[in-house]
Amino acid sequence: MDFSQIPYQINIGLVIVDRDLKVIFWNNWMAMHSGIKDEEIIGHNLLEFYSNLDNVRFLKNFRSVISFGNLSFFSQKLHKYLFPFNTTTSFDTGFEYMQQNCTMGPMRDKDNGEINSVYLTVQDVTDLASYEKKLVEANMLDGLTGVFNRKYLNSVIEKEFERHVRYSRALCFLMLDIDFFKNINDNYGHQFGDFVLKELSARISSALRDVDSFGRYGGEEFCCVLPETDIKFAVAVAERLRQVVVDEKFINGSSSIDVTISIGVSASCDKVSTPEMLIRSADEALYKAKETGRNKVVMMDEE
Amino acid sequence: MKKILIVDDSRVSRIMLKKCIGNSDKYEFCEAENGQVGLEKYRDFRPDVVFLDLTMPVMGGREFLKEIKKENVDAKIVVCTADVQRKALDEVFSLGAFTVVKKPPAKGCVLDALSKLDQINK
Amino acid sequence: MDKTEKAIITEEEKEILLEIMNISFGKAAADLAEFIDIYIELSIPYIHVLEPRALSGYLKKEIKDNLDCSIVEQKYWGKFKGDALLVFSAISSRELLSLLDTEKDWGYCSDPIDVLEKESLMEVGNILIGACVGKIAEMLNDIVTYTPPKVIIETQPLDSFFNFQVEEDSSIILLRTAFKFKSTDISGFLFLITSNESVEWLKSALSEFMERS
Repeated sequence: MDFSQIPYQINIGLVIVDRDLKVIFWNNWMAMHSGIKDEEIIGHNLLEFYSNLDNVRFLKNFRSVISFGNLSFFSQKLHKYLFPFNTTTSFDTGFEYMQQNCTMGPMRDKDNGEINSVYLTVQDVTDLASYEKKLVEANMLDGLTGVFNRKYLNSVIEKEFERHVRYSRALCFLMLDIDFFKNINDNYGHQFGDFVLKELSARISSALRDVDSFGRYGGEEFCCVLPETDIKFAVAVAERLRQVVVDEKFINGSSSIDVTISIGVSASCDKVSTPEMLIRSADEALYKAKETGRNKVVMMDEE
Repeated sequence: MKKILIVDDSRVSRIMLKKCIGNSDKYEFCEAENGQVGLEKYRDFRPDVVFLDLTMPVMGGREFLKEIKKENVDAKIVVCTADVQRKALDEVFSLGAFTVVKKPPAKGCVLDALSKLDQINK
Repeated sequence: MDKTEKAIITEEEKEILLEIMNISFGKAAADLAEFIDIYIELSIPYIHVLEPRALSGYLKKEIKDNLDCSIVEQKYWGKFKGDALLVFSAISSRELLSLLDTEKDWGYCSDPIDVLEKESLMEVGNILIGACVGKIAEMLNDIVTYTPPKVIIETQPLDSFFNFQVEEDSSIILLRTAFKFKSTDISGFLFLITSNESVEWLKSALSEFMERS
């Protein structure tokens, strides 16, 4: 039987380069997805065609394989892809390029065992990555508003608290609640209530930094984790959030109303030494904001 | 007859080195398992050349080099190491090593080092 | 020295293996610096001979002193075969990423930090294990291949870590060295757990090594 066709025909990308990254072999799969025929690329440096590979990380792994004869694994999770190929489906996968798991390994001279070239396999894992992404998102996000859900927020608080303890960085927490939300639901209907939740989530999300985590804690209650933030700055952030809600009316169809929120602010400190206490302190401050008139920001007691 | 002191904590390493040097009629050997013992043996034995490992317990090769150079600036030290990073090499040369032999020792390199020493002594 | 130790590997073989490890790790450190720009110090290695039953306990004890650790596991497979465990103590993710010069990419990535941390750990671990195991294999005239690395980060109870499948009436040769990345706080241990199947081969490879030199 003629096995020599296998490298050309398998449903996986196979590339072989020499010690200078010059392409020696380029199989059909690579030709099909790249649009580059083997005769066009063989003899050329791989980096001429794929300049994205001209980075320290890829080259370190390459030199490691050349020097030590180990395998290098370029996982989809870390690298996304090595070769920017289009996805093979017209369905939306959530990715711009084909997601790939790639492996690099040594090829040795038959006689003296020296490593004279390196192979690279490319596996299309877009479907798997897309499925995983959807699962992860479904597990992290609130179905109605698209912001983080309570379960995920709790894990963020735990993790940020750990970082705060380990590297003694500041950490603040906001708990916020829509004022008189029950009235909104009763007077304008649940659909309008849902609209308010969604609109408010969008406004607040866009007013925060990328490092902040904002989510729905339950009902009309939301919260926000502010890493590396001191309490003064956190109060200013809270004030800004209160503003973006109160500044513009919430308009949907023929209904238009003013919405306000109350916010409690807490910060980790000697007195607040666990994630639970961080949440409770913000909750107590929020309660005080409600008690003393609503549509305001209240800081936790600091003595 | 030339006197050679081998300072290395590994017995195996000392055996390998002696194998490379070969010809026991031409050389007289003395061995030490760390820098501390090496210093004492050096004073007694007065070797023509020292083959020195770098990583050893009690007293490592770098300290041995420093100490021995204080006592005898002309001491001929051949450092044996697997770690041939430029930085490591620069360091031992600045401490006064005569030359460096890569581990595991190859006969050619070891004999080369010895003949270079001969030329200097002539 | 207990009985099992005497039976499985002689004092002389142990000395040869130690010297081979010394040389291999020295070469690995030199090549890592020269070719990969990874600067690492590897301390004087140790060899332990253990009964399989004692292995989990031994590792737990070694690792427990370093709470907050992350472990990369990778199997190597040639005539020389076994299990490599790389134990990192107290990792700072940023420092770790700086080893692979990926700090710059930090801001663009939407993935949670711990995914990046985990994957970077595997990548550094893969290179480090490949360098150390590869050099030992090379000195013993062997060629090994590797499974993809797996990583376990902190928090899990240590009891669930290890599930080695070993024959009861055998012994395990465990090689151990400590490592530290220069000018960082990243340090830890490398354990190579030599598979039973390769002990016979190892013994003959060791004597061959002495004859060759």
